[in-house]
Amino acid sequence: MNKEVIIIGGGVAGMQCAISLAEMGVKPTIIEKSDKLGGKLNDWYKLFPTFTSASEVLNPLKDMINELGVDVKLSSEVTKLEPKSVTLADGTTMSADAIVICSGFEVFDARLKEEYGYKIYDNVITSVDLERMFCEGSVQNLDKNSPSRIAILHCVGSRDEKVCQTHCSRVCCVAGVKQAIELKELYPKSEIFNFYMDIRMFGCGYEELYKEAQIKHNIHFVRGRISEAAQTIDSKIQIKSEDTLIGRPLKMTVDLLVLMVGMSAGKSNNSFATTDGINLNTSGFISPKNIFTECVSSDVDSIFYAGTVTAPKNIGESITEGVAAAHKVAKFIKL
Amino acid sequence: MNFYYDHFIIPFIIGVAILFSIVLYKYVRWITRLPKRDKLLIRKNIFTRKTLSAIQEVILESLLHRKIFRVNPLLGYMHMSLAFGWFLLIIVGSFEAAVHLKGEFLPPHAHVFYKFFAPKIIHTESGTTWEFIMDFLLLFVLIGVALAWGKRAYSRAMGIKKSTKHTRADRIALSALWLIFPARLLAESFTSGVRGGSSFLTGSIGNFMVDLLGWNTMVAIAPYTWWLYSTVLAIFFIFMPFSRYMHIFTEIPLIFLRKYGLKSSDNKQKSFDHFQIEACSRCGICIDPCQLQSAAGIDNVQSTYFLRDRRYNKLTESVTNNCLMCGRCQVKCPVGIDLNTLRLNSRHSFVSTSKADADNRYSYLNGVDLSTGSGRVGYFAGCMTSLSPKILNAMDKIFAAAKEDIWYADKNGGICCGRPLKLSGEIEAAQKMIDLNTALFEKHKITTLVTSCPICLKVFKEDYRLNGVEILHHSEYISRLIKEGRIEVSKSDLSYTYHDPCELGRGSGVYEQPRDVISAIGNLVEMEHNRESALCCGSSLANLEIRDDQQLKIASQLGEEFKQCNADSMITSCPLCKKSISRVANGKVEDICEIVANSLK
Repeated sequence: MNKEVIIIGGGVAGMQCAISLAEMGVKPTIIEKSDKLGGKLNDWYKLFPTFTSASEVLNPLKDMINELGVDVKLSSEVTKLEPKSVTLADGTTMSADAIVICSGFEVFDARLKEEYGYKIYDNVITSVDLERMFCEGSVQNLDKNSPSRIAILHCVGSRDEKVCQTHCSRVCCVAGVKQAIELKELYPKSEIFNFYMDIRMFGCGYEELYKEAQIKHNIHFVRGRISEAAQTIDSKIQIKSEDTLIGRPLKMTVDLLVLMVGMSAGKSNNSFATTDGINLNTSGFISPKNIFTECVSSDVDSIFYAGTVTAPKNIGESITEGVAAAHKVAKFIKL
Repeated sequence: MNFYYDHFIIPFIIGVAILFSIVLYKYVRWITRLPKRDKLLIRKNIFTRKTLSAIQEVILESLLHRKIFRVNPLLGYMHMSLAFGWFLLIIVGSFEAAVHLKGEFLPPHAHVFYKFFAPKIIHTESGTTWEFIMDFLLLFVLIGVALAWGKRAYSRAMGIKKSTKHTRADRIALSALWLIFPARLLAESFTSGVRGGSSFLTGSIGNFMVDLLGWNTMVAIAPYTWWLYSTVLAIFFIFMPFSRYMHIFTEIPLIFLRKYGLKSSDNKQKSFDHFQIEACSRCGICIDPCQLQSAAGIDNVQSTYFLRDRRYNKLTESVTNNCLMCGRCQVKCPVGIDLNTLRLNSRHSFVSTSKADADNRYSYLNGVDLSTGSGRVGYFAGCMTSLSPKILNAMDKIFAAAKEDIWYADKNGGICCGRPLKLSGEIEAAQKMIDLNTALFEKHKITTLVTSCPICLKVFKEDYRLNGVEILHHSEYISRLIKEGRIEVSKSDLSYTYHDPCELGRGSGVYEQPRDVISAIGNLVEMEHNRESALCCGSSLANLEIRDDQQLKIASQLGEEFKQCNADSMITSCPLCKKSISRVANGKVEDICEIVANSLK
């Protein structure tokens, strides 16, 4: 008889986990709260550091899911988690031999940093908005033929105790560099400034991209956070910052301010944590059993994790964890 | 001539002598060291009605403990029975002694040990009445002592969750105090048993003991019971000036001096402070309201401990700086000690900035004027408001709707109001800001000053000398605009709850105007703690010690009350509170001017 595994969340980690399990002869069921598989990757345009189109990653995963006939329940949300069963919002209860939580992260709500004026001033957008605009082919109010000045602010909702986000979201540094290059390519006459605290280029090819942005694309990097933004009469954004390398205050008017929003813990983590054995860390991500050797296991034997539910990760790492979790599940259910 | 002497009175006499010499020494020292201005105030007011009203307050508070009754009736009774009961025992006892102990000279201890010295007059009829009254009073006090024992075991029954940790002197004095009245009961009962008579309490117990122990044993033990009584009295008296019980006497001069207009000052520790500090009984009523304790588990900084440490010269900078200065304890303090002012002048004592330093440090601000506009109504947004563009936009909308001509003090950046510096004890630096802003306000000849920040409001009202300039928080200003019909708002079905910012509510006494404004726009639902007892958001600038996660725990208490009152949105009128609550609230958090701007007709 086929062993059954429930996978909560149909992003890249969940999809990969389902594929690996199905390949091993298990019957996985993906429970996805939105109306399509793919998670946040659906909204991304191109991926760092190679500028690979997001669909190039997503489509093969989706094809495999179809090919293997993985059971997918869309628009379904888990309201209650037990070691071997889940209850959905519509009241149905599903049981399984094991559960893998791949519920991912939330994009930080930039409105909490009111001083940057997101949703108050027209020309303040987030990195997520920018991806959508890239997908649509143009960025609001920017003209290809006239020069414009764009500021990209890193660490919005990351490494910021004041909004309860003590962690580093890791991927926004390189995403900010990627977006700066894309903006420059789309608007060659524009001047682009990245405001940062530290630039953390942890992945393969990231540092090279950072260098390329400076040398090839002439993108400016200013070490200093923006303290506040205000709208000018002509709807531009005036920002105040400090260039901490030269130790001077700085005031600049830009046409567009892009906020590199960080990864916040998933909203459902709190409800998962009501189950014994599932614990949250300070920023609200779920703590795995052991961050070195058991990073996809929980303290409950039948519950496993994959992807950004446990910490900010990039796409490659999330997919790898999908495979790893499938392996641990297989061992647990004694395939 | 009868001196009413027996050896056992020696400890008592020594105790009383030590007590009164120390207390007198302290008071004389504190009073002679008062600054001239304070002495003048005393001289000016001593023969006025203020003295009468001070006497009234002494009776109501020092004896009857009216304010403690408001905290909890049992707690009130406990304090009253000990203070008022003991007071009556002394007064009635003195009269009883004066009536029955004949003699041209009656030493003060005669009434204390009255039963020992005059056991025989009990047979007269008036004697019986006196005996009854004294027994009744003793019982009254004993019930208080029993409650005090009970409070040790289970303080929650008296409305106190956490009670004060005591010093060693406190413990000794406390133990002695708890023994005084049982010892008196024992001594009087034994003597009654031996000699017959006495009323329902000591008489009955005396007879019972005779039956139990036999008359001969009673005769043998009786003198030692008086030794015990005299000794515990002596221990209490000797430790009293060094313990919390110094408050028994000190609250009285404090009440008088306060009525005469003496005050502590923000920037200078004065001799008057001693009266406030030693009037603290360490009753611990200030501990429960403190959110640092209830939310963050910090339990050594509350006002009772701050005053204790300052009194014994053990105050550290970190204890002094670890306070939100939200004022929640101050409104509950039964002695009415000016806790925040004492805390401020302690902070100032740790700061070494001189006026010259401040002038030097901020010289770059001299003559800076970034203001715009030309109206007679000045708007000072404040730094936190500048970081909250929704509030700025809303205020602009309201000003436009009211057709108010505005002079913007800090639209392009301005000088700090000075309050944050003041709260950190940097009074000289704050004064520099105050002087610079005052010059700016005078230069632009404003007649009204509106601010969106309660922190700025408080310093404008208390420390700026702005003759003829009316100072308003924007909630007061908006409330007036609505009342005068200068702006019109439409009412919706939305429900709002209101959070009183510390500096606006307890700090500046503005409670009703924001509520009037909210009621004109929607339905107001109160949170469990509101007005004087409103919770602090935790991000108070006044606390220089706690970490962000601790601030968050304090804010969460507010988030929880917001959730419980089920309102659509939480309204506050402080940009700092808004920021602080936003991160824990489940619903929307808005400034009062935002909902006004959104509902303008």
